[in-house]
Amino acid sequence: MELIEAILEEGIRRCDEVEVFGTNGTSLSLTLKGGILHSAELSRSWGVGIRTIEKGKIGFSSTSDPGRWRECLKAACESGTAATHQEWKGLPGPVEYPLRAPTHDPSLFPNLDPAQLLADALLEGAGEHPVTITDGSVDLSRGTIILANSRGVRYTAPRTLASVSLEAIHGTSTGYEFDASVFMELDARAVGEQAAFLASHCDGGYDISTGDYDLVLSPIAVAQLLGHAVVPALSGRNVHAGRSRLSGELGKQCLDEGLSLYDDPFARGTGATDWDGEGVLARRIPFVNDGVLERFAYDLKTASRYGTESTASAVRSGYGGAPAIGVHNLVVDGERTGVFDDKALFVHDIVGAHTANPLTGDFSVELSNAYWIEGGIPGTPVRKAMYAGNIFEAFRSIGGLGKESRVVGSAILPPVRLNKQRIIGK
Amino acid sequence: MQGIRYYDLRQVRGYGTRIDIDNGAVEEAGTSFFDDTVIRALGPKGWGVVTMDSFVPDAPTSIENAIAEAAPLTAVTHEDILLAGVPGPVRAVPALREDPAVIHLDEKIDLLHGIERAARVPEVGNTRATYLERKETVRFMDSSGIDISYDVTRCGFSVMAVAVRQGRMQMGRESRHTISGFNLRHQEGMGEKAGRTAVALLDAVPARGKRMNVVLDQELGGVFAHEAVGHASEGDLIKEGNSVLRGKIGETIGNRDLTIIDDPTLPEFGFEPLDAEGMAVHRTEVIQGGKVHAYLHNRETAPVVGNGEPGNARAMAGSIPQVRMSNTFIENGDIAFEELLEVCGTGILLKGSRGGQVDPGRGVFLFNAEYGYLIENGECTTMVRDVSLSGEILSTLHDIELIGNDRLMYEGFCGKGGQSVPVSDGAPHLLLRHTVVGGSGTD
Repeated sequence: MELIEAILEEGIRRCDEVEVFGTNGTSLSLTLKGGILHSAELSRSWGVGIRTIEKGKIGFSSTSDPGRWRECLKAACESGTAATHQEWKGLPGPVEYPLRAPTHDPSLFPNLDPAQLLADALLEGAGEHPVTITDGSVDLSRGTIILANSRGVRYTAPRTLASVSLEAIHGTSTGYEFDASVFMELDARAVGEQAAFLASHCDGGYDISTGDYDLVLSPIAVAQLLGHAVVPALSGRNVHAGRSRLSGELGKQCLDEGLSLYDDPFARGTGATDWDGEGVLARRIPFVNDGVLERFAYDLKTASRYGTESTASAVRSGYGGAPAIGVHNLVVDGERTGVFDDKALFVHDIVGAHTANPLTGDFSVELSNAYWIEGGIPGTPVRKAMYAGNIFEAFRSIGGLGKESRVVGSAILPPVRLNKQRIIGK
Repeated sequence: MQGIRYYDLRQVRGYGTRIDIDNGAVEEAGTSFFDDTVIRALGPKGWGVVTMDSFVPDAPTSIENAIAEAAPLTAVTHEDILLAGVPGPVRAVPALREDPAVIHLDEKIDLLHGIERAARVPEVGNTRATYLERKETVRFMDSSGIDISYDVTRCGFSVMAVAVRQGRMQMGRESRHTISGFNLRHQEGMGEKAGRTAVALLDAVPARGKRMNVVLDQELGGVFAHEAVGHASEGDLIKEGNSVLRGKIGETIGNRDLTIIDDPTLPEFGFEPLDAEGMAVHRTEVIQGGKVHAYLHNRETAPVVGNGEPGNARAMAGSIPQVRMSNTFIENGDIAFEELLEVCGTGILLKGSRGGQVDPGRGVFLFNAEYGYLIENGECTTMVRDVSLSGEILSTLHDIELIGNDRLMYEGFCGKGGQSVPVSDGAPHLLLRHTVVGGSGTD
């Protein structure tokens, strides 16, 4: 904190306002190769991102070297000189806030013993099915983030994260599963078992002919499609820049009336936080309520520019990235039904979600670990097929939300049933 | 250093400059600094690794202290590891035609503004251009006493235009990245091309998903080589049993005129003067005359898997090396583009890349075109949008019927295991028969 105070003190001599975002932490990672522990990595990191504001011109720089902070501050000021002037209402001042967001687990430490137990559990779970393990990982991290500014904000938050993943193969059928949590509560055995089940169950799949089919997309598949098309469309910056399909849709029915979409920074997800990347107190943001579009996401810069308030939606990709509009924990919610009761093609994952058209939502992807399911019982696997459509259109009329949600990256969401979807077979 | 058989250290220091111009406003224009070191210590069985910021290798006992920290980590690792080869030598980095580091930020902004403005053709409602510049000073040291340093500067830009008409929206995008020096001058044409593509796509129809004859342009042909063959030939995936190319050396898996190369020595965006384990880099013929000929390797995978030499380890700053591609391409054939279209007869020409992905263990890949044209009687007709191609590695290469004579290389970034590295891919125009194309259009 001493160094951060020095940066703020020096910075305020040069600019109207200064902000420092600092991170430090330690992580331990174990890597499995072919079912054997191949390497153990201890990583220590420290870094600061400095933002300066001078007469509505915003500058940014970052460094991982405490000895170069003066150079970094100078670079931030020069960066501001080059930026275009914009309306700016100022950085936030300090506010008392209740600790609501679950950001850390006091019992989680990046130590070898708990990491090894998780690795053993992954392997034990995978042993339930006849597969070869190809790759796997265990990561435990602990650190602190600091947000301080020249208006007097001095926020700190401890952070912990545990994550595991496993990849397995049976013949030419692969299976991948993962999980992550702020808490030391991961069921690594279940993750290993599920990866092995997917590889084993989907071996020897059958071809499917081109046509319209009822699908159930897993939370992983839904998160990928939403993340590449819908989340960018909710950004106030994209809306005002004319890059969002949802522009002009506020107050209108844009998704199925059984579907709500909100950002809940206090939910038990990996993006939990009490304040956003600019020190604005986090709050629940109802983007879509019962299918009606109610709100877009704003950070301070975009809110000032377009005469509205920040929704505390600034996120940081570590110390090295300037704050940008994003989501903390994107929750997909609504009435839950038995989406697996009637026969459907279950899609665990998709290949190529990032190739979706981020503007229009049009996509054409390959299915991964797809199999028929009825009454919750996994049936015949499908060997190879593509799935094409439009994500906005698909979510205008859904067949239901499944009962159990899970955390996938910065989203918390259930499986979603989508009827009459276009599948391109062999 | 008890029990430590070998260690190496890779430090990457430098700066990155980023400029972001959105609808005429300079949103970001600044420089940040990084200094990341990875120290790997090889124990009796497996690696202990320590990663740090702002490490000073020359400070007394600093390396010894880091290894003392890494050594206990190997207590939990169990893999028998043999390392092939010896480090060095380093290749000369091609000289920069114009060093971007000496050009003032204001001039870079002005030039990028010019490219972004050029994208504002009629009906374009939004334009955005970004410039990235990164200078890395890399130092590689190991327990044999090797101590090598080199500098590499990479820079480039991308420009995007969004066209809007009666509620419809489409996007055009162009980008160019290089290791040859500053490349923002005289590039307004790229901005205009992005704008015109966006406008043209407003009238394009969605592709109909089905089997058809496909002509891939040079950029997509490169992505095809990268996704369908490149990843599956990476020695770590072969070793782990996660590639359908495992055990296929000498087998014919494609057209007998098909040759696919990975070559980090070429002065393209994926150039490396030395690999991330200190090994000399070299050209690899992955597919030769339609047969699987060699794999890409690091020091660990080469002795276990064989059929190839180490030299393909690459790493992001602060990350553990992985087996990676560099500059990957399909060699030229001898067919002119016009002849290729004529032989195609009826089908689709796919152009530009919106990215791709592969599941190498399953042997299935997918990539997406930015746009395309229907081919009727050997002529390009209606423009189509949102079209992708998926296939199976072991069968789709047989679908290549003709190989063009007009190879070009395109730059991009490739992701694997959470790391993104600069690469280039390329190919001549290719004709594929009866290939599965995906799109949401219906009859």
